[in-house]
Amino acid sequence: MTDEMNIADYLSQGGKLTNPANVPPRYRAELMKLMSIFVDSELAGAAGFADVINAGPGIKERIAAARIVLEKTDHADKVLRLMGEFGANTDRYVGHHPWTDRLPRDTAPGSARSTHDMRLSVFNYPLDGWVDAVVMNLCMGHAVAAQLDDMMRSSYQPLAEAIRDVTPRETRHTELAEEGLARLAEQGQGAAIADSLAYWRPRVAAIFGDPSADRLAQLKGWGLRHATASEMRDAWETRLDAALNRLGLTQAA
Amino acid sequence: MPRFHELTVRDVKKTIRDAVVVTLEPKNGEAFDFIQGQYLTFRQEIEGVELRRSYSICAGRGEGVLQVGIKKVDGGAFSTWANERLQPGMVVQAMEPMGSFHTPLDAAARRSYLGFAGGSGITPVLSILKTVLATEQQSDFTLVYANRGVNTIMFREELEDLKNLYMGRLNVIHVLESDAQDIELFQGRVDAEKCAALFDHWIDVTTVDTAFICGPEPMMLGIAKALKDHGLADAQIKFELFASAQPGRLERKARDVDAGTQAARTQASVTLDGTARSFEMDKGVSILDAALENAMDAPYACKAGVCSTCKCKVLEGEVEMIANHALEDYEVERGYVLSCQSYPLTDRVVVDYDQ
Repeated sequence: MTDEMNIADYLSQGGKLTNPANVPPRYRAELMKLMSIFVDSELAGAAGFADVINAGPGIKERIAAARIVLEKTDHADKVLRLMGEFGANTDRYVGHHPWTDRLPRDTAPGSARSTHDMRLSVFNYPLDGWVDAVVMNLCMGHAVAAQLDDMMRSSYQPLAEAIRDVTPRETRHTELAEEGLARLAEQGQGAAIADSLAYWRPRVAAIFGDPSADRLAQLKGWGLRHATASEMRDAWETRLDAALNRLGLTQAA
Repeated sequence: MPRFHELTVRDVKKTIRDAVVVTLEPKNGEAFDFIQGQYLTFRQEIEGVELRRSYSICAGRGEGVLQVGIKKVDGGAFSTWANERLQPGMVVQAMEPMGSFHTPLDAAARRSYLGFAGGSGITPVLSILKTVLATEQQSDFTLVYANRGVNTIMFREELEDLKNLYMGRLNVIHVLESDAQDIELFQGRVDAEKCAALFDHWIDVTTVDTAFICGPEPMMLGIAKALKDHGLADAQIKFELFASAQPGRLERKARDVDAGTQAARTQASVTLDGTARSFEMDKGVSILDAALENAMDAPYACKAGVCSTCKCKVLEGEVEMIANHALEDYEVERGYVLSCQSYPLTDRVVVDYDQ
């Protein structure tokens, strides 16, 4: 039973890679990019959220926000450890970049990344107070869900497992946002919520992008991507609209 | 960052003609605690070249020994060295145990496990089944073990002993490719079809909690397909691709020729995904930025010399790497650089992201 099989064929048929020793160089590079997008987004997201803990109106809200900061940082750690097995310097990684950096609030929606980290573009926009943070968390939480669904099927088994592991907590963060928003709506914050939705929705929408057709085909062939950006964006819209309906906050896309 | 530790070889035992079980003891009494199913990565200089190879631990977690199985691979420098030269008393270097080919155990649980091993893929599966049966005293384990013939079965006797020790809880099905078997079902290759037949007549997949598969690629694909067809979810199927498999090449590198000189300029040739592109670049620009400026989708993440995503190999010319927090000395010696931190020194550089 020592049949040889080309790694690319193996991957295209749904094969899994299980440790850095088996991973070809180009696959490694694309996998590292995907992992750093996740790590950087969690770090930047947690860093941004840390600043609004004290804006929480009550102790429950502050606990929820602090918990989100803690767990998102922990999720970054889980995937960063996998990068460490490929040689990334995990000790220096967190310190190499100011994760709280943001663009001015009025920067137009776009998908451009900062040049020094791989955070999703949405994390380059600053939060503006408590209501805004909760709205962003809800909008982005559902987008994260769509992306995690795809990463959970990754052909790199340790990543797929890490994502399966963190997903229930990420889902909980989105539920916390929905609960928080329901309270804010009751307290008559409807106008502020609507303003924040109008601000965040297009900025979250912009994170769904595909690389060139060739690259996407290659990533799909290697089992590192499954859905297209438009499929993920549709899944996000559906989830978010359902949540807004539950909250009685109907807002056009 | 992974670190290497020194381990003393305590025993080298032949299991079959071309495989050894090596017993190791960490020097300096360092704790080398492992989880069942993990592997060790060794480094060894052989004929002036540093090699790194990973081998699965075959001991159970509670056995109090650290053992790996190493099967000789045709043309494999490390495995041949281990089979022919390794002797008790020698000191080898290995990183602490790594790998996630395991599930959490619970002494009170009553679970059914199914393991598939092809050839030397038995090593981590053996570690798992020994640990599971010792820890979860109400759980059972069925092993489907594929080999060419009877004389290539690693740990055959040990498995027999374990069957006696865990009477009724360990079931071993040998499937042999070339030797005739009493039951036709147990002859041939373990592929999707064979699995389907086993699941229809011999193994009740509906009761399986977790399946472990370690073997060559086609075998893993076939088994995974059959398991999913029979209702197992992705999260219930754990794979370990032979840790000793050679890293495959996705595509062949291409080469090209070009030349050009100018004091502050460099003629660069960059290969990515099998395509080489030549362009002139400024010596004050990093290799990575130059590739990106020339519309190449070169890989990177941190741009700070920390993450190693942008690693490439310099084939011709020289570059200066101004920071390196990720590559190890042996990689640098082989010509690897972090392209985000590397600036051309010579009038011509050739780099490759594909190797």
